[in-house]
Amino acid sequence: MSRIEIRNLVKMYGAHQALHGIDISIQPGEFCVLVGPSGCGKSTTLRMVAGLETISGGEVSIGDRVVNGLRPKERGIAMVFQNYALYPSKTVYNNMAFSLQLSRMPKPEIERRVREVAEILELTPLLDRKPGALSGGQRQRVAMGRAIVRDPKVFLFDEPLSNLDAKLRGQMRAEIKRLHQRLENTIIYVTHDQVEAMTLADRIVIMRDGRIEQQGTPDEIFHDPDTVFVAGFMGSPPMNLVDCMVTPDGLKLGDSEITCATPNGLRAGERVICGIRPDDIRPASDMTADMTADTAHSAPITVPINLIEQLGTEKLVHFSAGDHEMIGKTGGRVTMAEGAPHPMSFDMKHAYFFDPKSEKRIR
Amino acid sequence: MTSTIRQMTTKGTPYFFLLPGLVILGALLSVPLYKVVEYSLYDNVIVERNPTYVGLANYQTLLTDPGYWSAGLNTLLFTVGSVLGHMVVGIGLALLVNADIAPRARTFFRSMLVLPWIFTAVVVALNWQLLLNPFGLINYILQWMGLTTEPLDWLGDPNLAMWSLLLISTWRGYPFIMVSFLSGLQTVPRELYEAAEIDGAGFWSKFWHVTLPQLKPVIYGVALLDLIWTFQLFPLVWLSTGGGPGRATEVLSTLTFRLAFVDFQFSQAATVAVSILIISAAFTLLYLRNEARRL
Ligand SMILES: Nc1ncnc2c1ncn2[C@@H]1O[C@H](COP(=O)(O)OP(=O)(O)OP(=O)(O)O)[C@@H](O)[C@H]1O
Ligand SMILES: [Mg+2]
Repeated sequence: MSRIEIRNLVKMYGAHQALHGIDISIQPGEFCVLVGPSGCGKSTTLRMVAGLETISGGEVSIGDRVVNGLRPKERGIAMVFQNYALYPSKTVYNNMAFSLQLSRMPKPEIERRVREVAEILELTPLLDRKPGALSGGQRQRVAMGRAIVRDPKVFLFDEPLSNLDAKLRGQMRAEIKRLHQRLENTIIYVTHDQVEAMTLADRIVIMRDGRIEQQGTPDEIFHDPDTVFVAGFMGSPPMNLVDCMVTPDGLKLGDSEITCATPNGLRAGERVICGIRPDDIRPASDMTADMTADTAHSAPITVPINLIEQLGTEKLVHFSAGDHEMIGKTGGRVTMAEGAPHPMSFDMKHAYFFDPKSEKRIR
Repeated sequence: MTSTIRQMTTKGTPYFFLLPGLVILGALLSVPLYKVVEYSLYDNVIVERNPTYVGLANYQTLLTDPGYWSAGLNTLLFTVGSVLGHMVVGIGLALLVNADIAPRARTFFRSMLVLPWIFTAVVVALNWQLLLNPFGLINYILQWMGLTTEPLDWLGDPNLAMWSLLLISTWRGYPFIMVSFLSGLQTVPRELYEAAEIDGAGFWSKFWHVTLPQLKPVIYGVALLDLIWTFQLFPLVWLSTGGGPGRATEVLSTLTFRLAFVDFQFSQAATVAVSILIISAAFTLLYLRNEARRL
């Protein structure tokens, strides 16, 4: 358990600047997830913490030590790679034991540790196999085992689950969560899967183009986004983000008008980006059962329904509002006709407003 | 019915076009092969119009000839020494030119280091004769550095000649190994080295535990191929030392040549040639089996 401080971290690849000053402060035992679109610099950040990539500017410290100049093995970290990077010529046992063997630990102690970790990860029957004879999920567990036997202060994961199918991914996700509860190590975990980010993280760091867009708890990121980017990034299907005009009583969305409270700074006639999650747009006909004190549904507006997607427990309702394609939700048993106009009701209490120019939140 | 015939003709067409080439190649290979084996069973071939059939007598003579055995031993030394030399130098240089240095410098070194491969044996032999000459550059440098007082006759001293020959052969032959390993090295995933680095491996541990296991199939195949080539290598040896001084560097291939074109004992020469053929064939079978297993 170590705290990790990343201060003003900069990475240059030749003339290309991949990171523009990253600041993250991770508490001991915290599970920190880096998310963001492809190429935003997640792996680069992680690899600089690991010592696999040189640091062009700024500082990384693990525990109380600045580790900028230290080699990977001196940093007290272990890393799990996306493609597992198991040694193909070594057995599972030797894959896991390798780092201990290199550190000249006595054989019986190595044996004890490897067997203990193998037991936790249910790898005991596989110890004599080579990685080539393992399934994807088993390889993944060996890669984690290899990291765990070293009892590192910090775990680094780079998209460890992205090569697994959806079901296995779900299982391994739960397993990683359990391991973290048990071992209480500090973890930095890179993914572009927002479900992984939401379920695993104590802290989510959203990156974009080499900068941090927002960081906070999963709740904060999901329910209190600072920017249009964060609002649109988290959540599936994504939040509806529509360009509206402010009216004295609310918003003008396409041809219809929605009555609602708008932030104080906004005056009638100004343009604003309104963000509202699909969960907060429902057919007016649903409204009776679902209403709680926490919602404030507007008077419904009647819109053409383009498409209904059946997901099982719920249905996605695709409709048009003016030029905007929007998505709402309804229960899986509700029947609605495609192609016909239908009144939809917006829960404006949970709408977000953003400045169209700076894309920053207006509170 | 007609469709099967048409199918056969369409399938057969490419082979039909290959036919002339196959016939010529086959004839060029099989006729001399057959002739050599035949010669080894007769006495006084070529020099006499009607050679006498002697069965395996030539082989008997050969197996009791100390010259043959010494040439065999030299061949063994030369082959094993050369292959080892090629391997060690080839792997070492492949690691060096695979290093993460400026791309331009890397290309430069890669092309420079392949050069020994592209010279013909004549040029290589002549060059090294000049370099290793008692009044040549190497002796000059050794004396200047104070390592020797007297110039050494590298190619003329029976105790040194084989070592000098191995040096020449190593220099001449490492590029093939280097190039093969270089392409092998580039297939080793970078993540493996990174994982090893995090596990605490230094340069040698990474080499032993990551690089070598990944290269093992390449090493085996390339070593066998090199063995087959070096075993019957003729021009470089003949042009560098001519098998001398005395018989100090006489190998089976130079022995064959000497018997045939210096002593005109074509039957004996054919017999030695057949013995080379048998051993080479054994190595080749090993090599082919290895390749088949890799596929
Ligand atoms: N070795 C390199 N040389 C030059 N540019 C690089 C190098 N490695 C990464 N980059 C660049 O740095 C930026 C960040 O890359 P990085 O691998 O950190 O992205 P990422 O967030 O991990 O993306 P992904 O989700 O696709 O893995 C990218 O623009 C990439 O092109
Ligand atoms: Mg990445």
